[in-house]
Amino acid sequence: MILEALIAFTFASALVVLLAPNEWAGRLAFALSLVPFVGSLYLWSQFEAGGNALTGGTIAFETRIEWLEVGGRSVSWFVGLDGISLPLVVLTTFLVPLAIVSAWTPIDTRQSQFYGLMLFMQANLIGVFTALDFFLWFVFWEAVLVPMYFLIGIWGGPRRKYAAIKFFVYTNAASLVMFIGFMALVFGLGDSVSSFALPEITQAIAAGELGSWFGIAPGTLAMIAFLAMFFGFAVKVPVVPVHTWLPDAHVEAPTPVSVMLAGVLLKMGTYALLRFNFTMLPEQASALAVPIAVIAVISVIYGAMLALAQQDLKRIVAYSSVSSMGYVILGLVVFTEYGVGGATFQMVAHGLISGLMFMAVGVVYNATHTRMVGDMAGMADRMPVAVGILVAGAFAYMGLPLMAGFAGEFFIFVGAFGADAALPYAPVFTALAMFGIVIVAGYLLSAMQKTLFGPFRLETDYEVGRAPVHDVAPLAVLLAAIIVLGVAPDLFFEMIRDAVGPVVEGVTVDG
Amino acid sequence: MVPPEWYLLLSAAIFCIGLFGVLTRRDALYFLMSVELMMNAANINLVAFALYYGDLTGQVFALFVIALAAAEVAIGIGIILVLYRNFGETDVTVPREMRW
Amino acid sequence: MVDAFAYVPAIVLLPFFSFLVALGAGKYLPKGGAFGGIAATAGSFLLSLWVAATVLGGRTYNETIYTWAGGDQFELTFGLLIDPLSALMLVIVTLIALLVHVFSLGYMNDEGETGLPRYYAGLGLFTASMLGFVVADNLLMAFMFFELVGLCSYLLIGFHFRQPGPPSAAKKAFLVTRFGDYFFLVGLVAVFATFGTAQFAGPESFPALAEQALNGSFDAWTPLGLGVEQWFTIVGLLVLGGAVGKSAQFPLHTWLPDAMEGPTPVSALIHAATMVAAGVYLVARMFGFYALTPTTLAIIAFVGGFTALFAATMGVVKEELKQVLAYSTISQYGYMMLALGAGSYVAATFHLLTHAFFKALLFLGAGAVIIAMHHNENMWDMGGLKSKMPVTYWTFLAGSLALAGIFPFSGFWSKDEILYEAFIHGLSDPLLLGGWIMGLLAVPVTAFYTFRMVFLTFHGEPRSETARDPHAVRWNVKGPLTVLGSLAVVAGFVNMVPVQKLLGIEGIDFLTQWLDNDFGGIDGVSYSHYNDLLATYAGYEAGEIAGSAETTLIVAAGLSLGLAVLGVLVAWKLYDVPEPTEHTAKLGGAKDVLYNNYYQDEVQVWLAYRTEDVAGGADTFDQGIIDGVVNGISSVSLAVGDRVRRIQTGVVSQYAAMLTLGLVVLILVLGVTGGWFL
Repeated sequence: MILEALIAFTFASALVVLLAPNEWAGRLAFALSLVPFVGSLYLWSQFEAGGNALTGGTIAFETRIEWLEVGGRSVSWFVGLDGISLPLVVLTTFLVPLAIVSAWTPIDTRQSQFYGLMLFMQANLIGVFTALDFFLWFVFWEAVLVPMYFLIGIWGGPRRKYAAIKFFVYTNAASLVMFIGFMALVFGLGDSVSSFALPEITQAIAAGELGSWFGIAPGTLAMIAFLAMFFGFAVKVPVVPVHTWLPDAHVEAPTPVSVMLAGVLLKMGTYALLRFNFTMLPEQASALAVPIAVIAVISVIYGAMLALAQQDLKRIVAYSSVSSMGYVILGLVVFTEYGVGGATFQMVAHGLISGLMFMAVGVVYNATHTRMVGDMAGMADRMPVAVGILVAGAFAYMGLPLMAGFAGEFFIFVGAFGADAALPYAPVFTALAMFGIVIVAGYLLSAMQKTLFGPFRLETDYEVGRAPVHDVAPLAVLLAAIIVLGVAPDLFFEMIRDAVGPVVEGVTVDG
Repeated sequence: MVPPEWYLLLSAAIFCIGLFGVLTRRDALYFLMSVELMMNAANINLVAFALYYGDLTGQVFALFVIALAAAEVAIGIGIILVLYRNFGETDVTVPREMRW
Repeated sequence: MVDAFAYVPAIVLLPFFSFLVALGAGKYLPKGGAFGGIAATAGSFLLSLWVAATVLGGRTYNETIYTWAGGDQFELTFGLLIDPLSALMLVIVTLIALLVHVFSLGYMNDEGETGLPRYYAGLGLFTASMLGFVVADNLLMAFMFFELVGLCSYLLIGFHFRQPGPPSAAKKAFLVTRFGDYFFLVGLVAVFATFGTAQFAGPESFPALAEQALNGSFDAWTPLGLGVEQWFTIVGLLVLGGAVGKSAQFPLHTWLPDAMEGPTPVSALIHAATMVAAGVYLVARMFGFYALTPTTLAIIAFVGGFTALFAATMGVVKEELKQVLAYSTISQYGYMMLALGAGSYVAATFHLLTHAFFKALLFLGAGAVIIAMHHNENMWDMGGLKSKMPVTYWTFLAGSLALAGIFPFSGFWSKDEILYEAFIHGLSDPLLLGGWIMGLLAVPVTAFYTFRMVFLTFHGEPRSETARDPHAVRWNVKGPLTVLGSLAVVAGFVNMVPVQKLLGIEGIDFLTQWLDNDFGGIDGVSYSHYNDLLATYAGYEAGEIAGSAETTLIVAAGLSLGLAVLGVLVAWKLYDVPEPTEHTAKLGGAKDVLYNNYYQDEVQVWLAYRTEDVAGGADTFDQGIIDGVVNGISSVSLAVGDRVRRIQTGVVSQYAAMLTLGLVVLILVLGVTGGWFL
């Protein structure tokens, strides 16, 4: 019942904050958001790794209550955790309080609505990562979009409406395609499953229960389902070429919303890819290994090249997210313990690091009211602590060892390089993708050199002083978390390995 | 017994008259009357088939339709009255605000 | 009994704590945290001596101490490998770091620099990273600390971040070495994929497994259908990429001269003991692997020899003191690479040792001169400093003699051994012989630019106001100079192999014995084992001229010493005059090429700009085509919607007509498909 309590509490706190006066909504939201964080830490402490929830492993903190029946299949309130979802729940509950604190400075209108929506989104995010019934999961999945739409559309920058609508329509249309794909699977399974519970569906597919539907052969049906779901999740991740909503959304979104978008929302896509495409349909994934790896490598290199061309600090970080997510896709497709596990670890690591980067850029923006590289120089002179952490975050992004980003990337690389059994030419793909670490250093270092160092210059008439403590404190907390995870990745990686083991073993590689 | 084709021909004829009225008339009253004609054409069909099959359901249905038509006339006349008040005439092509 | 090896982590952690202390509390401490750094590095130095003494007593240490990430596929661990090589390197690094800390009191604190806590934090982290790299027992841990060393160089080179130059140089240093590290990372991952382990030493280490793979008793993974030997060569070259970047070998050397933007003590630390040494140390550390791949060795030797000559020629025309030293560093590390490629692990380590002392000495000496000259580094403004700063002069002279390779200073012994080894092995390998010839040609050039620097700085008449009345330096500058000056003179005596061979005096080749596990060591990590590998797998054999080892030795040593003396004499002739003039005009067109460093930087800048152009093109493509399609779909939808909604006229009759039409069409379709009309 802990998970229900967690989700219910978050929904309730969203309501409370919504009704609170604007003056102290931020502080109230922060206080309330600490409760789920403590709760998730408690979950972590009580968690015992027991395999993958979908493939028949132990489901921790499981609750399953029959809810309603659709088309002869039961829909239930079915939540639980395993080694893949727990780190992401902890990431979510950890980032939200920090994002709320980082909103104290920039959000100066309609605060109670803002924080209410943030908490509402958090509740749905926890739901996405814990739900084990497809319908339940889909409800949470779609419900995340709604607060995000308003958060960008109301508190965003000058082109906020364009960005919000683009974000909503793009991802929603993708969800529709994904939904159709999943339904094809469900109908293909016919009477062999009696519910929408993901574990049952996964195990039925693994047992070869997938039949033909409307005259479509099972293999073709599975492939159609795989492609439809891959497209749906790929938009969310996002991978090239369906990534263009991301930079627009990031640029327009206020800092804390960017933090949530990059930190958690993108991970919904990769999480779902792992859960649905790569766990349920490993054979199709193996068959499509080469094209998927090509997409991954293109995402890495092309995303990094785009980041190199940007002049807006937020766009730089946004495009580099595309690049980083390419690594995750590469890690998933090789079906090795370190590849898939590393991809999962990278989700958490990138969540922390991109959150830190967006927050740090936000702190600079609060002071300068510009994010353009050419408009400022020598910021290190005026705000040394914030810039120091920004530099540390940038190095974390570049994959500096003993920080979380290196751990995630290295796991993926070491898992992928030798995996030429699952992915032909794996060494070539891996080596190409690894070149991303050079480009990322190139654009982050040159952007930092131009904006942070050199003689101080700012082409606005604002007075720039040190950042307030509550702006810098979340940065420091995030940096500490990044270093802790970088020094001791096994904090999460151990349970992740345990959970991805069955996924990896599920693939029979021939030749 | 009159063969059902005759009833069907009659109802088809009445229906076409009604349809013609709906498509060509611009006055709302004619419009309403034409709709009534089409409904009654359906009624004739219902009753005819009820008789033919020896099943009363069709006749019951016809009663429902008549009740519905009465209600419709009430609402329709109301709409026409509002039309007249707002536009000074009962031409259905004049009020065009109800679009996109 | 207290075990020295239990304190090895403390060697690494002490400077790390000084980093934390300086960062957190430096501004409340006297001297900006300098004393914490001095105490930490002194402690590390003493512990390193203890560890070295323990190794001398015949014990070694090779243990995993921390599992970074476990799993069935790989075990990624941290561990400590203390053998003669790493013990020696620990002593060098901690000693240089200690002296640099002391010197910094004079160079930074006494000069009233701001941001000292940041400076000492950087020094502490730099030292700690390098020490972590030195004690690493596997390639992954080595890579991680290797990267941290890169980070620290970024922080310290860019120390004066308020000026435009240093941040740019710092970026370049990190980026160029990152480019090398990319290949290292690929190589590292390849090592894991091939062997499943990245341990340096022991029966389960990757060099040992590689040897087994070559003689068929271990089945190594190879990609793309490559043969084992080809694949090992590729892996070796990939890892070498990291070494080429960090050790500033051609073509990734361009960051190093720019890195002179950093404070001078930092330059000393980078060049003598930490970052640049890391590349050579890496190759030495995994020499058991390189010894199996002759192609890689030949490439290492050739690149090393080429770099030695190439960098030396650029050093000839430089006007700034530190620039000359920068190019000499590149050149000297080229020698070390040449030694490694020639299969002489001992000679490379020997030169690493002597170079650490004399190059640290030269940089600190240069730092003293720069203090005296009020931070003017142009040699043409100096002159006549000999009488005004005698301690600096004599120690600097000792360092210069060592750098030039004049008997009996330390540099002579190590450089001579390198050239000798390259020569005898090069007689059978043209690539290696090419390396030797270039190395030999670099000898007179080195001697020339070194003494050009000495004469311009210290001899003749003062050529500026500041040179006439230089700033005084204190004990904290003179002390480190004296220590290093003495070491630069005597360090060569630890390995007098030529003397031993010629005169037959036993026991004066201490370093060779040390690295050959004569005092104890780890099996498979020793000079003689490497020689066996080289002979078996790489086909290395020592050639002789005139059929006599002694003659070969005398000819090789005489040749290099003679050329060195020649270089000194030319410099003396040209520049040891009261009013020296630039003689660069005599070089003609070559002068511009040398001044501009063979247009290397231009090429790299050009590459950077082209990359930016490609990025710009990609951005245009992304915004125009990919996002254009997305926006296009939305525009088309909107436009179509705009058209379609015009059907909705608001006229009820038309709606009714459409209803009817729809019904008719429906009936017709159903009728045709249902066959009603047939």
